[in-house]
Amino acid sequence: MRGRRPSLFAVLCAVAGALLLAFVLLPAASMVVGAGAGLLGDALRQDDVRRSLWLTLVAALIATAVAFVVGVPLAYLLARRDFTGKRLVEGVIDLPIVFPHTAAGIALLTVYGSDGFMGRLLAPLGLRFTETVAGIVLAMLFVSLPFLVDTAREAFALVDERYEKVARTLGSSPGGAFARVTFPQAWRGVLAGAVLMWGRGISEFGAVVILAYNPKVISVLTFERFEGFGLRAAQPPAVLIVIVAFVVFVVLRTVLLPRRRRSRKGAA
Amino acid sequence: MIGLRGLEVEAGGFAVGPLDLDVMEGEYGVLLGPSGAGKTLVLEAVAGVRRIRAGRVLIDDDDVTSLAPERRRVGLVFQDGLLFPHLDVAHNVAYGARRRGGAGGRRQGSDAGRLAELAEETGITRLLSRRPATLSGGERQRVALARALAARPRVLLLDEPLSAVDVEAREDLQDVLRRVCGAERLTVLHVTHDRAEAFALADSCALLVDGTLRQTGAPRDVLRWPADESVARFLGARNVLAATRAEDDACVAVLSAGGRLRAEEPLPSALASVVVRPENVQLRRAGGGPPATAALRGRVVRLALQGGHVLVSVDTPVRLEALVPERVAERLGLTVGAVVDVTVEPEAVHVLPRR
Repeated sequence: MRGRRPSLFAVLCAVAGALLLAFVLLPAASMVVGAGAGLLGDALRQDDVRRSLWLTLVAALIATAVAFVVGVPLAYLLARRDFTGKRLVEGVIDLPIVFPHTAAGIALLTVYGSDGFMGRLLAPLGLRFTETVAGIVLAMLFVSLPFLVDTAREAFALVDERYEKVARTLGSSPGGAFARVTFPQAWRGVLAGAVLMWGRGISEFGAVVILAYNPKVISVLTFERFEGFGLRAAQPPAVLIVIVAFVVFVVLRTVLLPRRRRSRKGAA
Repeated sequence: MIGLRGLEVEAGGFAVGPLDLDVMEGEYGVLLGPSGAGKTLVLEAVAGVRRIRAGRVLIDDDDVTSLAPERRRVGLVFQDGLLFPHLDVAHNVAYGARRRGGAGGRRQGSDAGRLAELAEETGITRLLSRRPATLSGGERQRVALARALAARPRVLLLDEPLSAVDVEAREDLQDVLRRVCGAERLTVLHVTHDRAEAFALADSCALLVDGTLRQTGAPRDVLRWPADESVARFLGARNVLAATRAEDDACVAVLSAGGRLRAEEPLPSALASVVVRPENVQLRRAGGGPPATAALRGRVVRLALQGGHVLVSVDTPVRLEALVPERVAERLGLTVGAVVDVTVEPEAVHVLPRR
């Protein structure tokens, strides 16, 4: 039996998609091929590259964890409640997306730098944000927070609020209904937001370089090598972070986020 | 017992109330009204999951107005069941039982027994290991009912529980509701827009139209003596006719479009509306002579089959609708254009004052 021929529209969609994939893949593939396996091996044997890679991954993870703790409750509130100034709050959360990242770094420096209001306030607690891991986390948190909050808000909004009403009549407190009924239905969306945020965090350069040039995250190390030794020296750390991030993304999406069901007419 | 005292609820600019309503202990109360009348708002207010603007909610004589939903001990079942999709049926049913159950093996043991008993009563024993997504609409509602009952509620609140269920399963579910609620001596408030569903289940009935409670009473009384035109029309009394009181006989309504109908009681005011249910309109093929006494002569303009009955529209000249058994329609040889005499017994003429 012959299958149905794809429609012209489907072909056009596929062509458009292929162009976009090529646009993304071409530079990445060129970089990987240009670096070569030998150079990559060398890079992995270099202490500063390994340290930088580890620092980048962990700092982005800490930023994501902090955002999870403070951002998920806010996302839930934005999904469930209407209140005066809600649009303003949503706008503020999205502000980092439109901030030039170097400007974000400067803004953070004015507040969290050694002369800044928060910097002075937190210094006695041993928290310093210039040239420290805390500064890197802060910069990553600032620029990537909207990805988690916005995605989590959408995930919560997709869960029918009446589930919580039923749970309340069955004896759950508001927190209990959230933990036992809403979050278990929204967690995949929240996780997708966390993955996006983590991915955005590891790629951050502009804000990090202003606040904490040292210790060097991988984007700063790549920049430094490019400035000091040229393209060939900068390629291995850049390729390394791209490969690691790509593998993590694919694994998380495959293992944790099931394929979205296509809605088909007549599907059971 | 459920008591509403001056209850007012508002949502999106739509206001309901003030409402005063009582559903007595062990009674199956139905709040009936068209879509958008505010029935769900009332139900959610009783459950405590919607903020009220004014008034009080009483459950078993306790004022629960300021109590959180989890402390009211009410069971709530929505139209689509709303089973928690991440839990299987057994865990859905046990959700409320576990929350309300205390620690201790004996209590847990009795809860397990209660859950098994409920599963048996609601006919879901074979579904316990299934996921909600694999259940039919009727099965979902049975599970939702068992889940609500497992939490040992004082009252049960049902929001259009049969609307998303096919006709056959709906009748089964009605039987389950009647049996289980009767066995548990539960006070029930069931909201629906479906008249047949309401009259099949209700001990008492309340009519809500446009956020206002128009009438309460036994289903039969509400059906026979609707309080106003909107209730009459909603309850399917298709003949609501403007009339004036005859000067020579206070029991006779002179229809504005022509013709007279005799009521059992004197008309309460000079201007009135006459309500006649279509099943109370009698038809007879007109002979060659003048119409019989108290009959209106008219011509059939439309015939519509409704189950085993035929809805006959007759222009007398006022348009009247009669519901007659199919075999009667055949015997009378009713066709479009046929001339018929229409009669209505005085006890079937319900008169409403008209403003």
